[in-house]
Amino acid sequence: MRTIDYTIEPPVVEGKPSLSSINEDIARPLETKPPKGWYIAISISLTMLLIGAVSLAITFIKGVGVWGVNQPVGWGFDIVNFVFWVGIGHAGTLISAILFLLRQRWRTSIARFAEAMTIFAVMCAGLFPAIHTGRPWLDGYLLPYPNQHGLWVNFTSPLLWDVFAVSTYFTVSLVFWYIGLIPDLATLRDRTTNKFKKVIYSIFSLGWRHSTKHWNHYEMAYLILAGFATPLVLSVHTIVSFDFAVSIMPGWHTTIFPPYFVAGAVFSGFAMVQNVLIVIRKVFKIEHIITLDTLEKMNKVMLATGMMVGYAYAMEFFIAWYSGNPIEQFVFLNRALGPYAWAYWTMVSCNVLFTQLFWFKKIRRSIPVMFVIGVLVNVGMWFERFVIVVTSLSRDYLPSSWGMYIPSIFDIGILIGSFGLFFTLIFLFIRTLPVVSIAEVKAVLPDAQPTHGGNH
Amino acid sequence: MENKPLYSIAATFSDVNKTIDAVQKINEAGYKNYDVHAPYPVHGLPQAMKLKSSKLGWVTLVFGFSGAVFAFLFMYWVNVFDYPLIVGGKPFYQLPAYIPVMFEVTVLSAAVFTVVWMLFILFKFPNNSHPLIDTDYMKRVSVDRYGISIQANDEIFDFYKVKEFFKSLGAEEVFEIYYKVDELQDRPKIFDKKFISFLVLTSVIVSAITYFVLNQLLFMSPFNWMHKQFRLNPQTSTTVFKDGFGMRTPVEGTVARGYLPYPFKGKPAEAEMKLVNPLVPTEQVLKLGKSKYLTYCSPCHGNYGFGDSRLRGQFPNPPTLHSDKIRNMKDGGIFHIITEGQNVMPSYASQLTVDERWAIVHYIRVLQRSVNPKESDLR
Amino acid sequence: MSQDNFRKHWKSLRDYYNPEELKKLKEDEFLEGTIDTVDLAGMPPISRRRFLALLSASSAFAFAACSNFKDKGEIVPYNKKPEEIIIGNANYYASSLNCCQNTCSVLVKTREGRPIKIDGNPDHPVNQGKVCIRGQASILNLYDPDRLKSPQQRVSNRQFAPISWREANKSITDALKKSVDQNKEIAFISYKVNSPTTLLVLNEFKQKYPTTKFYFYSNFSNKAKIETWKEVYGTSEVPSIKLNQAKVILSLESDFLSTDGDVIDQVRQFAETRNVNDLKNFSRLYVVEGNLTLTGSNADYRIKLRPDYQKDFLLSLLNEILKRTNPKVNLPAELVSQIKNYDLNSVVSKHKLSKEVVSTLVDDLIKNQGKSIVLCGDRNGKDEQILALILNEVLGNTSLYDFSSTYVNLVEENSIQDFENLIQKINQGLVGIVINFDCNPVYDFSYLKLSDAFSKVNLVVTLTEQKSETTAFSNFVLPIHNELESWNDFQVRSNILNLQQPVISPMYDTRQKESVLITWTTGEVYYDSIYQRKLKSRWQNEVFTKFPTLDNFDTFWYASLHDGFVTLPSKTTNKPAFALKSFNLSNENKSNEILLSIYPHPYLYDGKFGNNGWLHEVPHPISKIVWDNYAAISPKTAKDLNLKNGDLIQVSNGKYNVGLPVFVQAGLADNLICVETGYGREECGEIGKGVGFNVQFLINKNSSSVYNSYVNVKKTGEVYNLVTAQEHHSLDDTFVKDFHRKRKIIQEGTLLQYEKDPDFIQKERPELLSIVNEVKYKDVKWAMAIDMNKCIGCNACVVSCVAENNIPMVGKDQVEKGREMHWIRIDTYYSGTPDEVTVSNQPMLCQHCDNAPCENVCPVSATNHSPDGLNQMAYNRCVGTRYCSNNCPYKVRRFNFFDFRSHFNNEYQYQEPLNFLNNPEVTVRSRGVMEKCTFCVQRIMEARQKAIEQGNEFDGSGVMTACQQACPSNAIVFGNMLDKNSEVSKLRNHKLAYYVLEETNVKPNVTYIAKLRNINSESV
Repeated sequence: MRTIDYTIEPPVVEGKPSLSSINEDIARPLETKPPKGWYIAISISLTMLLIGAVSLAITFIKGVGVWGVNQPVGWGFDIVNFVFWVGIGHAGTLISAILFLLRQRWRTSIARFAEAMTIFAVMCAGLFPAIHTGRPWLDGYLLPYPNQHGLWVNFTSPLLWDVFAVSTYFTVSLVFWYIGLIPDLATLRDRTTNKFKKVIYSIFSLGWRHSTKHWNHYEMAYLILAGFATPLVLSVHTIVSFDFAVSIMPGWHTTIFPPYFVAGAVFSGFAMVQNVLIVIRKVFKIEHIITLDTLEKMNKVMLATGMMVGYAYAMEFFIAWYSGNPIEQFVFLNRALGPYAWAYWTMVSCNVLFTQLFWFKKIRRSIPVMFVIGVLVNVGMWFERFVIVVTSLSRDYLPSSWGMYIPSIFDIGILIGSFGLFFTLIFLFIRTLPVVSIAEVKAVLPDAQPTHGGNH
Repeated sequence: MENKPLYSIAATFSDVNKTIDAVQKINEAGYKNYDVHAPYPVHGLPQAMKLKSSKLGWVTLVFGFSGAVFAFLFMYWVNVFDYPLIVGGKPFYQLPAYIPVMFEVTVLSAAVFTVVWMLFILFKFPNNSHPLIDTDYMKRVSVDRYGISIQANDEIFDFYKVKEFFKSLGAEEVFEIYYKVDELQDRPKIFDKKFISFLVLTSVIVSAITYFVLNQLLFMSPFNWMHKQFRLNPQTSTTVFKDGFGMRTPVEGTVARGYLPYPFKGKPAEAEMKLVNPLVPTEQVLKLGKSKYLTYCSPCHGNYGFGDSRLRGQFPNPPTLHSDKIRNMKDGGIFHIITEGQNVMPSYASQLTVDERWAIVHYIRVLQRSVNPKESDLR
Repeated sequence: MSQDNFRKHWKSLRDYYNPEELKKLKEDEFLEGTIDTVDLAGMPPISRRRFLALLSASSAFAFAACSNFKDKGEIVPYNKKPEEIIIGNANYYASSLNCCQNTCSVLVKTREGRPIKIDGNPDHPVNQGKVCIRGQASILNLYDPDRLKSPQQRVSNRQFAPISWREANKSITDALKKSVDQNKEIAFISYKVNSPTTLLVLNEFKQKYPTTKFYFYSNFSNKAKIETWKEVYGTSEVPSIKLNQAKVILSLESDFLSTDGDVIDQVRQFAETRNVNDLKNFSRLYVVEGNLTLTGSNADYRIKLRPDYQKDFLLSLLNEILKRTNPKVNLPAELVSQIKNYDLNSVVSKHKLSKEVVSTLVDDLIKNQGKSIVLCGDRNGKDEQILALILNEVLGNTSLYDFSSTYVNLVEENSIQDFENLIQKINQGLVGIVINFDCNPVYDFSYLKLSDAFSKVNLVVTLTEQKSETTAFSNFVLPIHNELESWNDFQVRSNILNLQQPVISPMYDTRQKESVLITWTTGEVYYDSIYQRKLKSRWQNEVFTKFPTLDNFDTFWYASLHDGFVTLPSKTTNKPAFALKSFNLSNENKSNEILLSIYPHPYLYDGKFGNNGWLHEVPHPISKIVWDNYAAISPKTAKDLNLKNGDLIQVSNGKYNVGLPVFVQAGLADNLICVETGYGREECGEIGKGVGFNVQFLINKNSSSVYNSYVNVKKTGEVYNLVTAQEHHSLDDTFVKDFHRKRKIIQEGTLLQYEKDPDFIQKERPELLSIVNEVKYKDVKWAMAIDMNKCIGCNACVVSCVAENNIPMVGKDQVEKGREMHWIRIDTYYSGTPDEVTVSNQPMLCQHCDNAPCENVCPVSATNHSPDGLNQMAYNRCVGTRYCSNNCPYKVRRFNFFDFRSHFNNEYQYQEPLNFLNNPEVTVRSRGVMEKCTFCVQRIMEARQKAIEQGNEFDGSGVMTACQQACPSNAIVFGNMLDKNSEVSKLRNHKLAYYVLEETNVKPNVTYIAKLRNINSESV
């Protein structure tokens, strides 16, 4: 009867690669000619981006009337997508910051990539509040700058909090990401033979020289940033959830929203990261760096957050019933039985039912199955936002002003476009920057750290 | 040796443990200006080098705190002093609503300034002209070697001794690192013809674009600032009517509410007989009368009605209002003259409303009485 | 090597060999040759000065670029300012409008000589400051870009060429002379004339051209009523009715609150009987009808009955009442004998009427003899009319007849027979000229196919404002003044003579229709005031003489113009004796097949306003359908014929087939199809062309009531898209049933309940508490109260608001998406069962909540609260996030999803002169801006300004919102709630006052006075 010692962490990186081979593996995609697959992929994503751009241009010229939004459903795909993308972003920060603080060493191989996804997702998200306004050319009014109206913004509006939250989130993630990149850029700078690339790398590596004096401050800074990113990531989706929770609409005005949204965000974010990583590690043959164990760990996280989300769904119904507020009660009955029931049940099945499969180790470790489930989770989470935004508005207080929301082709076009933007950025990223943090991976290699001397 | 100033002598090691020993030895040897380079943060190295742990945290604290305070004070000032607005029936100062923004600003300033401080104050980045950059040493170090570089400006630096020392520590390779003289000798480029013309060109282009955007683009569709609205404001033109006048003259013979046509056209006598002043000479009425008199009447009749005004001599002289004729004229008569005009005096009907005319009549009476008062007044 | 060499340390070989050089190297701040060796040759060609100069030059560029040189436009002042106009201030003119047969006296608001708003004449005894929805909308006709601007002559089929008035007049007068010489008829077709002076002109015309024959008609005329009155009472002076004294009102197919008779008068008087502070005189309304009309929706008891069964019902009712009373009226013997065959109970059971309702009706009628009234709809046949008169006579309700103000008939209407004869004559070639005098017979008599006849006449002249089906078949189309450009006088009531004066100088090359006739008659050269002089002279000779006490005609004339009417010295006529000699029922074959009944559309009425988009866009008061008419059928009938909403059906009355979309309307009688006229105009402007379906074809000229005919229905299988502005939920859908009651949106009680427990509303109101201390308002805080007992849901307020606040039309497609822009809307809720519905109307507008949820969420403070309690919008600050609208529990905010003016009907609303229509005091909102009811802040500011001018303390009195001003039943009250004596603050503290969604604690400022239904029960 053999016992397993859980105190020993399994190695983060499989096999026993040398420090230099790490360089090789990670820098390869940057130096070799892209495979055909990459060209196909990016042309698809660019097409999607183009579709989005055209739909957006038409919206800008003719007005948001080309969308499906109306009275009473003033928000449609625009805000649904916004919340969805912000959610996607969260996994990145979670992996890079929270897991860092929790000393989860398995994060190192995926942190860089997750952070990149955060930034791209937040870019996609940030797009929507900007374009959903009736007069987009006046979006500047949302910033508190001294203007000829002598008027300031309304600091009580959750939408304004969003402006601060999302912009802060974007900036800090970017800084965090860039800090992580500096040593790798320096490495590339020293590696590359191409003059042009050298200039670029030199500029962005700022003259980093792997000095221990710098490493000393650097690690401190990294720790501090991680420390700040953690409450930040929680706050961002909390504030996004305020958009709804602070309103007085039945189905929106709910105290459970902040934790519920954060859990949901992590949930969908992990699904997205998992999906993309599965592709990346295959295409770039870095299965030994982004290991199956890592993926399995992510699936576990999804299982956990998925159940939190499920709990939230149940709790919403309970509270609605328990509150004794008939209007609140109706809204939730209407979600489950009303005209948008299909959306509701899609959400429930994708988010709560399918993830239960992750209880089985076999499924947790089977690449194709987890991929499918990941996709389903993203679909489910998108519909969660749809259910929250649309069904609540479509049937609120006055039956006289109930109405249905039917998305137009422009709504769909812009949704496609946002995915196009996201993947285009991803594809460019994996060709131009190290998808895995070279320095960090080196640091966690076996025998990378001294066995005596240093007191740790 | 070639004519180049030396920066340091550096050596690379292949094994992390060896490196740490080496560092400790170098410390013991009493070297101060040396640095250790590793491709990743090696635990224990800083301790081996006797480096103090980073003080960056204080920077973060200061900037984070000031961010919070600034955010709070700004919002308080805006909502309570600069532009108080009733919003949703809530008080002007509402702390709970401020908290999200305060939090975000705290995080933002703390995080950004920490990094800025580290990179630009502590590390003095960007610094790509550092002698270590682009050396074979650096190339090794950034891959898989650990390097130690002892700088030439160290008190006890000795070219040969150091080399020897490294050997003894079991260094793989030893490098001599020199300043890059050519980089040091660059002239500043700012007065260069090319640069200047580039400067001018950019400014011209920027100006052109700015002008186009501010004065043309922003007034094209779909941009709409509601500064030109699809309605007919007073005193504007229209293409609907041939004469182009947006303001129309009412049809002859129609009667607007409150504007019954003047019944005594050309009948001064009748007017004087039948019209009576509807207003009581209260202070308010007299004030009105005075202001209107000074506006419309005084230019000819003078401020006190003596007919002495700056226009005297340029027209047939306007009469004084203190003549017996006018003093004995009934209110209706004066009203009639204001309304219809008389001799060269035009009608003031369109300038003065009926009430204003009557008020003026009262004021004229006051003027007359002040010039030749009644017995009762004198007593 | 010397010793000291060793003592000093060297860092490099170079150092060791020549230390001086290194020393120098170290002393220098920079290394060899960095800057300190100044060589002029090496100096840059551009000096520092030059550099700075260029730098400043380029920055100057940049600044220049940032400046703004937009042209601010020119100023066009008056050459000579008219006395009555103060630029920027409004003028008001009393005038008259003739939208329907009951002329309204109106007060027209003008700015710089251009009308911008029409309201009722407050001094007028009938109007009392109110006009109907058509009156409100009629200003749009004046500025309609599709108006005819110059005379047209037809060159070929449907091809018209402009022609000068002179030529047109010449050829027409020649033709007139010719047809007189050839003794051919001059057919002169016109709506029923109700202007004495016009009549005078017509008669002079006839004297000049003796072969003239006048054909007068009106749609939905009260011809039958007048004739029967003559038959029963010998005179043709039908009295108006003192509705406000009625305790019980029985309406038989009479939509007297919407389309039937002198609506404005009736609505006001009816509303007076619905005063919750005067329960003694609270009226009870019974409606017996097949369709669900606005009146029916306001009934306390509603009896569903197909129009063709009305007679049975009346007869049996009369029979029952005769049984139970012994009236001193001697009825014709044959009637008395015939009545015996009609037993009320059998009728009740035959038509499945509710027994208790009918019995309460009978009891009430008998109990309230002399204080009840039976109203018989104009659409009913003669028999019903007579029976109604008899019923009133029997019950002694004649005391409610007002003989001091009877309806005047200047001319007698022609029958359909006459028009058929006309067609005959035309076919025989006996007609030389047809003159259409501002009417549209081709459309109105679609079922007679006048168009064919007209194409046989060699000269058809049409005087009209707009293209119409008739102009298409006319040789000359002569454009005439809009009523707002015309002079005239009208007499509808015996005691009142209305005057009409132009409020804008003629906009185009048009002439007043009467003046045209005068030029034809006298042959004199046209000048603008040609008809005014005729009018004035007639008044001098005929009207002024009625006032012997007055001496100066001019004063009298101007005073009457100023007031807009004169009250004629009353010759007190007392009730004529009941003189019905004989009465024999016209026995028509009743069949059980489906009956089609044609009703006037509540807004478009007879289609005369077909090009008026405002009326198209206002939701139908019952079905909420916009931009269409339809065939309404009851749910049961729908099931029988297996039809559902939108199915296209073929309705055929034997002669014509008309395709119509089905709308399943709860509360209709079974086997009945109700259609409404006014739609399906083929020839009119951009807006009305091809909207809806022309049902004029289905008029049944052989029946006693031409509007009813038996039809067979065929389902075509096609589906037509009917658009409603309000989602209706089928009454048997338990999931969403009766939410308006469950959520206390509509709170109603009965009279008995209120008398028993006056606090039954207040008891229901929730306890509210606040965690912040509330904002204090001082001096003025605005609030509104809406009395649901008075509101009948006529939508006049909606159009008034549209006109006042520059609200654009959005079109059918946008309404379908749910993007209508009306700031105030009438919500209609149904409760009860599909065949016994109770309708509740509720005007819904911005509630200007104290704790407005919209304000909290606006990120740019574009919406916030004013110090006088208005929830205000800063349009130019709004970026359009639509968050406020999402967070509005009443969903009264409206968003410009497009620039609707350009999006709707290819920029129709951007055509001049529609910009004249827009109120200069109200912003014309751009795309992407949120908007909503402002409580007419521009009016508030005007009042405040006036107060400041006069140096008074502004107490908030005397401000009227547009909706309040328009409301014909005075249901809306607006004012300063801080003023304890103001009407509104009294209503806020009324026992029946409640707020919609009060439990949300948004503290709305629109109070609703709960509706009391006057039924024999203590709960609704």
